[in-house]
Amino acid sequence: MASALEQFVNTVRTSSSHGNFRELCEFISKSSEVLIKQSQHLDNVLETLDIQHHSLGILAVLCAKFNVQVASNATDNRFTQAQDFILNCNGEQIRFAPDTFAELCHSLTNYLVEQKQPLKGIVLLQKAISKLRLFDSQLTSIHADLCQLCLLAKCFKPAIELLNIDITGICQELAQNPNGPQFDSKYFLLYYYYGGMIYLAVRNLDRALYFFEVAITTPSLAVSHIMLEAFKKYILVSLLLHGKIRPIPKYASQVVTRFIKPLSQPYHDLAVAFNSNSTSLLNAVVNKHSEAYTRDHNMGLVKQVSSVLYKKNIQRLTKTFLTLSLSDVASRVGLSSPAEAESHILQMIEKQQIFATINQKDGMVVFRDEPEKYSGPEVLKGLEEQLALCMELDRQILAMDEEIQVNPQYVKKATGLQDEEQPKSTYAM
Amino acid sequence: MAQVRQQNAVEPMQVDAPPEDNDNNEEDNYIVENPTLDLEVYANSYVGLAKLYRLIYIIDHCPSLKLEALKMAISYAMTTFNVNLYQVLHQKLAEITTAVNVPDVAASTCQDIPTIDNSWMESKSKRAALKLEKLDNDLKNYKSNSIKESIRRGHDDLGDHYLDCGDLSNALKCYSRARDYCTSGKHVVNMCLNVIKVSVYLQNWSHVLSYVSKAESTPDFSETQSKDSNQVILTKLKCAAGLAELATKKYKSAAKHFLQANLDHCDFPELLSPNNVAMYGGLCALATFDRHDLQKNVIFSSSFKLFLELEPQLRDIIFKFYESKYASCLKLLDEIKDNLLLDMYIAPHVNTLYTQIRNRALIQYFSPYLSADMHKMALAFNRTVPALEDELMQLILDGQIQARIDSHNKILFAKDVDQRSTTFEKSLLMGKEYQRRTRMLILRAAVLKNKIHVKSPQRDSSQTGEITVVPF
Repeated sequence: MASALEQFVNTVRTSSSHGNFRELCEFISKSSEVLIKQSQHLDNVLETLDIQHHSLGILAVLCAKFNVQVASNATDNRFTQAQDFILNCNGEQIRFAPDTFAELCHSLTNYLVEQKQPLKGIVLLQKAISKLRLFDSQLTSIHADLCQLCLLAKCFKPAIELLNIDITGICQELAQNPNGPQFDSKYFLLYYYYGGMIYLAVRNLDRALYFFEVAITTPSLAVSHIMLEAFKKYILVSLLLHGKIRPIPKYASQVVTRFIKPLSQPYHDLAVAFNSNSTSLLNAVVNKHSEAYTRDHNMGLVKQVSSVLYKKNIQRLTKTFLTLSLSDVASRVGLSSPAEAESHILQMIEKQQIFATINQKDGMVVFRDEPEKYSGPEVLKGLEEQLALCMELDRQILAMDEEIQVNPQYVKKATGLQDEEQPKSTYAM
Repeated sequence: MAQVRQQNAVEPMQVDAPPEDNDNNEEDNYIVENPTLDLEVYANSYVGLAKLYRLIYIIDHCPSLKLEALKMAISYAMTTFNVNLYQVLHQKLAEITTAVNVPDVAASTCQDIPTIDNSWMESKSKRAALKLEKLDNDLKNYKSNSIKESIRRGHDDLGDHYLDCGDLSNALKCYSRARDYCTSGKHVVNMCLNVIKVSVYLQNWSHVLSYVSKAESTPDFSETQSKDSNQVILTKLKCAAGLAELATKKYKSAAKHFLQANLDHCDFPELLSPNNVAMYGGLCALATFDRHDLQKNVIFSSSFKLFLELEPQLRDIIFKFYESKYASCLKLLDEIKDNLLLDMYIAPHVNTLYTQIRNRALIQYFSPYLSADMHKMALAFNRTVPALEDELMQLILDGQIQARIDSHNKILFAKDVDQRSTTFEKSLLMGKEYQRRTRMLILRAAVLKNKIHVKSPQRDSSQTGEITVVPF
């Protein structure tokens, strides 16, 4: 019985000391069944391995441990072991088996979610991400786990730090995939879906919309529930931010228009009602579909949308009027009383959404133009910052272009098109 | 098509036009109370089906002229082969004569109410059938002799006869068939005119426009445009095109077409009277032209001036509008509204055109001012101040007037746009948008490079459903 495990330990030790990590990875992926069978002895195995030198071995053992059902009465030391491992393991070694490492993190996440202790894993996963990725703007599937934990723990700061970095590369996990190394689209979608929700929670609507847009424009051949939910939220956020549905980019896959759109009809009805600028119509739609919105856990957003309509209508008034009495505002916007109109306007003035003064003596509102005059050093500084950002992006694009131009495959294809008429891959960059 | 039209005519509640005019449904059931129309004169400016259709339109929409119009229509129908229409008209007549029960009215009008003449109908039907047979035989003879010119004429004659009987779809077929036997440009133009005429009756406006352009591009015709006979044809074509554009709500091009008509050569009683041309063209121009175009193309146009003389009220309206006397202009417009509503072609568009004219007047009124007193403005436009405020608000929101309303003092202020800050705003926005798109682009490149795409999950069974779902 123990011989199989002994052999495992020996192979791990010899390969690690010789630096044959690639072969070791192959061996480990084959031996996962053995480990699962011998689950009761795994703790012993762990003791024989050194966390720095035999990271891959320990990784495999821990993965096996998370895959085994634990008897409820047994002491559960998996979390502390995983914590210890992630904090102290050898980053170079685990990058040979990113899929196993990511799997460990997924299991850990699931475990913490089940235990309802999401907060415990956040620092750990941050560490895990920094070990796995090669550069700061690389996406790993652990990103999605971290976002999930942050959402559940309602602790957004660590996630925001991560989300603020724009992704430019993607970690190639799933090395064993027959089609070459790949990244699971599920975690990609989850990252952008959770990310969008986190930005929503911290009221960064612009960024949230961007994240949902990424999610719905992911190439797809089938309807993903994640995409469907992202699409619903995309509509709502778009209404909140722009007052209309932003057109979906043309490169979004056909699935979106063919299947996802019809599946989110209540949200389209909402958008149509919103565009009519009529509060009564909007309320009717909200009441009609309230069940669907509640089922999708979007009722909060829907309520925000309906309160935004008042603001939108008041903003329309600022475009047409210089002065208007509060009772006129109330009647034109569809509010029940001048007092309500006053409180809405007051809020909007405080948030600098409109520029106005209320004269309480004769109940008049005086709308003003935006006081921003675009003069002074702050404006110049802001402009320069924006310019720098744009130039940085431009530089990035140029670098990518250059990279393609010197790519031997591309050069071969571009120059020798006439000779060989091979079917081209659609994804040839 | 002819059948449909007549069935619909029996029940005025239904739309009596083909589907193209469907959106006018709700406007179709109005009643005009006090027209100042001289029916006799009005009816005499048309011949053929145009006269009958226009009278029917009046019958359906104006109770006070109903009886007179019916009598006129019936007596005119007697001169044609259109037995079906005759029956329909009598049905309508029966409806109102039973409805009017007041004895003295019945007594005084009873003798001149025509009664349905069955023997006339029978003999007419017979004669129509005989004529049809004769024309058909003639055509067959021509065909066997294969004389192109005669065949063409045969088709035309047959078309004329069908038209006389009110069978529009067959008439259209015959006229179109003549096309293959046209030998000269003149014949082509003639054929086009026939087709246009029938298409107008059928209200098939796209057909009308395509045949107008066909006729205009016929080589012989376009070369010798200066000739007098061609002027007649040209005016006909322009009128038909204008009518089609009007019906499809392209008022500006409609106005342009009507303005090119020439009064001396305006002889098209099968479709329009010169008064119609003046009215349609004038209103469309008023609604869509700016001040400069209005002056150049309407008021100083030597040819259209003559048309305007036919409709002095309209001439006054246009001049008042140009002189910025909007109150009287709008008042005059209201006066002629009832008559316009009895015109089958412009009636569905009257309200839209009126609103456009009104909006144009509002914009023009305000254009020279920096600020305007809304009380005075309301006076100038016959409106209450709140109603005017609503109107102005809509115009401002549409971006047609650059102004803001001081609702407290009821003053309209022109908006001074700060070019500098709007430019700043715009460029900052553009920069943000660029960043967003570029980020998305870089990310997408990475996504494609890594071949990330949502696939349906592998299944044990080979069959896959249409909608598959990735486990969440």
